[in-house]
Amino acid sequence: MPKPLHDEVPPVQSGQSLYEKMLQNCLRGEFRVVNAGLPKSQKRLSDLLNEKYPYVICNDGSTHFFKKSELEYLASMIDAEEQKALLLPMLIVLGADQAESTIPILSGCEGKVEEKIVSKALNMPVTYDETRIRIYKPQLALLRRKLKTTTVYVFSPKIVA
Amino acid sequence: MPELIKVRPTKIELVKLKRRLSLAQRVQKIVKDRLSILTMEFLQTARETAEAKRKLIDEFSELYKALSVAAGYHGYIALEKELIATEADLKITAGSRNVAGVRIPSFELMDDTKPMRGYNLVDTSSWLDRTAQLSEESLRAIVELAELQRNFELLAMEINRIKRITNALEYIVIPGLQVTINYLNMKFEERDREEKARLKRVKVLVA
Repeated sequence: MPKPLHDEVPPVQSGQSLYEKMLQNCLRGEFRVVNAGLPKSQKRLSDLLNEKYPYVICNDGSTHFFKKSELEYLASMIDAEEQKALLLPMLIVLGADQAESTIPILSGCEGKVEEKIVSKALNMPVTYDETRIRIYKPQLALLRRKLKTTTVYVFSPKIVA
Repeated sequence: MPELIKVRPTKIELVKLKRRLSLAQRVQKIVKDRLSILTMEFLQTARETAEAKRKLIDEFSELYKALSVAAGYHGYIALEKELIATEADLKITAGSRNVAGVRIPSFELMDDTKPMRGYNLVDTSSWLDRTAQLSEESLRAIVELAELQRNFELLAMEINRIKRITNALEYIVIPGLQVTINYLNMKFEERDREEKARLKRVKVLVA
């Protein structure tokens, strides 16, 4: 699970001017806001399919709701074993230049489940290595259109480094 | 024209200003990334909203045609009598999700509810079945449109807010800091030159 981004921001020091404090608070606030929707923990698709109201708890304590129709769409693409391996929501880590994004592989099936889902949703093959699946911006829009509630954006600390 | 920030021309102030500038640039980067993602989501939602509206209008026109035929076939009084029996509560699952920092609602009509099928099958015809089926489809489209419309509004509001922050950073905060840093650098260079000239003058006087 990625670390919340606001941990990366240095704490406001007492010797700093009001202006600096304001800027740093703004940065801290932005980080907190962008990653507020990150789930505290992910759930398996097989478990979510059995829940009446499928959801996960986010970092800010709110809930992230999954649409049943979307879960059923995902379930139709993979078999029962793969449903047990797939962790939801899938994280989309945004790249530094926004041209490409990656989906980290967390299922423990060497990325076969995620690759299968992404390539079927996009209707085109995708490249993946051991740790991530690489997708490009036009593909990202397509993927988000089909998997609205089962994917979540992650703003990586590398973006602002 | 960016304004100079009023600071004392000291090296410590210059270091502070440089630190502020790097912080402001970091904020700008994250805000711009967020804006780009939100714009992509907004455009997609706008397209989907337009599509959903068109679909809903088409479904409504189909539904009214089917209802007119059913009313003509059964008669208004008989149809009204049957339709009273179809009244039922709708079950909608409502939740929320987060898109790049914007909390947006998510609605879904529960599948196990068949709100339009409570009428007597003996006294009715397939015209009413067709009307009921189209009504169910319209309901689903209404729920979908409600979600999209609200998402559209919330994303638009957030984009407006972020644009203001980006513009403030891009056109006021960062240029102001850069101008002040340049001004201080020039001031220090000028002071160095003055110091050199003074030393030269002292050297001439001493010699």
